Amino acid sequence: MTERATGDGTEVSDVIPLDLQPHDELVGEFNSPTSSRTWYHYLLIAASIVFAAVSVGFVATILWSSLPIWAHHSGTLLGGKGWQSPTGPFGGLAMIAGTLETSIIALAIAVVIGLGTSISIVFLIPRRFRNIVATLVELLAAVPSIVYGLWGFLVLAPWMLNTVNPWLNKWPFAKEIFGNPGQQFGTSLLLASIVLAVMILPTFVAISREVITVVPQDLIEASLSLGATRWQVIREVVLPTAKVGLFGATFLALARATGETVAVALVAGGVANAQFHLLYPGTSIAAWIATQFGEAQGNEIAALMALGVLLMVLNFGLSLISRWLVNRQRRILAVV
Amino acid sequence: MDQEFMAQVKMDAVEKSKAPDRGTAAMQLKNVAVSFHGRTAVRNCTFDISKNRVTSLIGPSGSGKTTLLRALNRLHDLTPGAKVTGQILLEGEDIYRGDITVTELRSRVGMVFQRPNPFPTMSIYDNAVSGLRFNGIKKKSILDEAAETSLRSAALWDSVQSRLKVAASNLSGGEQQRLCIARALAMDPEVLLMDEPTSALDPIATLRIEELMTTLKQRVTVVIVTHNMQQAARISDDCAFLLMGEDRAGELIEFDTTEKIFNNPIDPRTLDYTLGRFG
Repeated sequence: MTERATGDGTEVSDVIPLDLQPHDELVGEFNSPTSSRTWYHYLLIAASIVFAAVSVGFVATILWSSLPIWAHHSGTLLGGKGWQSPTGPFGGLAMIAGTLETSIIALAIAVVIGLGTSISIVFLIPRRFRNIVATLVELLAAVPSIVYGLWGFLVLAPWMLNTVNPWLNKWPFAKEIFGNPGQQFGTSLLLASIVLAVMILPTFVAISREVITVVPQDLIEASLSLGATRWQVIREVVLPTAKVGLFGATFLALARATGETVAVALVAGGVANAQFHLLYPGTSIAAWIATQFGEAQGNEIAALMALGVLLMVLNFGLSLISRWLVNRQRRILAVV
Repeated sequence: MDQEFMAQVKMDAVEKSKAPDRGTAAMQLKNVAVSFHGRTAVRNCTFDISKNRVTSLIGPSGSGKTTLLRALNRLHDLTPGAKVTGQILLEGEDIYRGDITVTELRSRVGMVFQRPNPFPTMSIYDNAVSGLRFNGIKKKSILDEAAETSLRSAALWDSVQSRLKVAASNLSGGEQQRLCIARALAMDPEVLLMDEPTSALDPIATLRIEELMTTLKQRVTVVIVTHNMQQAARISDDCAFLLMGEDRAGELIEFDTTEKIFNNPIDPRTLDYTLGRFG
């Protein structure tokens, strides 16, 4: 444990770029009146102008296309039930609720399993296997989401339908909580949550493992020298020290879950029916956009764009929070 | 030969003939060696750490001082491939014996590290009593008393008593290191191991820690690793000099009272080192 490598996998900074310091000395050099302005100087400026223009244009067109909805039907989009194609009304409650429900349940599952996995990787697994396990976890993060979706639909859905749903419904109040769907495919919000949990686990483990790994070794040794057991070291020193960074990992995983599209489209059931019974089919914002845009016209396009804006804002927010938290963790450790 | 020189030689002979009175041993090292994956890091360490004295471990980098120190509270237990041979006795008991509870041993042999490392998420108070809490003590009156006593012993109480609930990271480096000393003292250890405790501190903070050590030895036996020979000369009573051998393994060259090591060592290498000819 004394030689816990910090360079054996992705660093926090690989996952989230942090503390990017501008090369001020170069900025001065490029802009000094004496430096000759060569063609690549202008090329660089042009490239950044193109990038800025594309970004602004992208956000502007999305906002512009969704304007009819925001102007006249924003209440319906944010809180209305039912999606009547192609004339409207376009109620977004089912998608918004579906996104939040599936993401939060997925997160709850992923955080519990993921935290246990990260702690095991850092503290319990013998060193020679540690890097192998860590690499495997990171490889899982690179599996395309359509593969997870397919696996969810072809493997998990029948299992849910034939095994899990009947078992769940044996319990008292299960029908009130989960509903009693009798669906033929087994696709449901619960299945979407499970598939999402599997998908965000590698992300969460990769970052939380890194956050736990950078807890200074001498804090661990200090607590051991005070007679702490290994479990006390983890619970009372390592986890509290890593806490802020672990929240950062949680928000990043949540951002991944809310934005996930194709897997949810395959396993959630694709029904725009606002619904808290988890065994019923539902949908999410991203999945709904992906399945509806092909046949949308007029105001329905605007409504889908408006859902897109909503998702974008949600993900911006989550990413910003996550970045802020991981940076704060950096500062906490810098003080140590 | 002049008379003065002869007189000195005579006196030295007298000095050598009587073993220095170092009192009883808190810890005894008998042919201790530490290896990592079969590669010896330090060996041939046989000496006694006397009660209520400060014993310093000196020597150049790579001579195994810190490695030896960490063997004294079994911190190497965590390092894969680490092996400690020979015997280390605490009050006559082999600390590597199978039935020794390592958490109990570590609460009897405390440690202060190179870098001040208070727990960053805990307050000053919580840091001071963290060891007691690890050991299952929850009663507030006991914790309060231990916090005050240990912070007083570490000469920190007066400056922190009004802000005990403040995060320990708000303290200066020197104060943080004294908090770490207080944290170790709260366990009421028999021996306090200090691994270059002032190397990250400024001269004034260093001086205060050194002053502290000389008063601490009245209640606890101190073993300190230091790079700084003046420090070893100033504060320690006994001194072990270690040196890296041909095969890059550190070994004990000489152990004696600090006075002897610095003024009249037996081994010429000790003299060369203390005179600053290498290292």
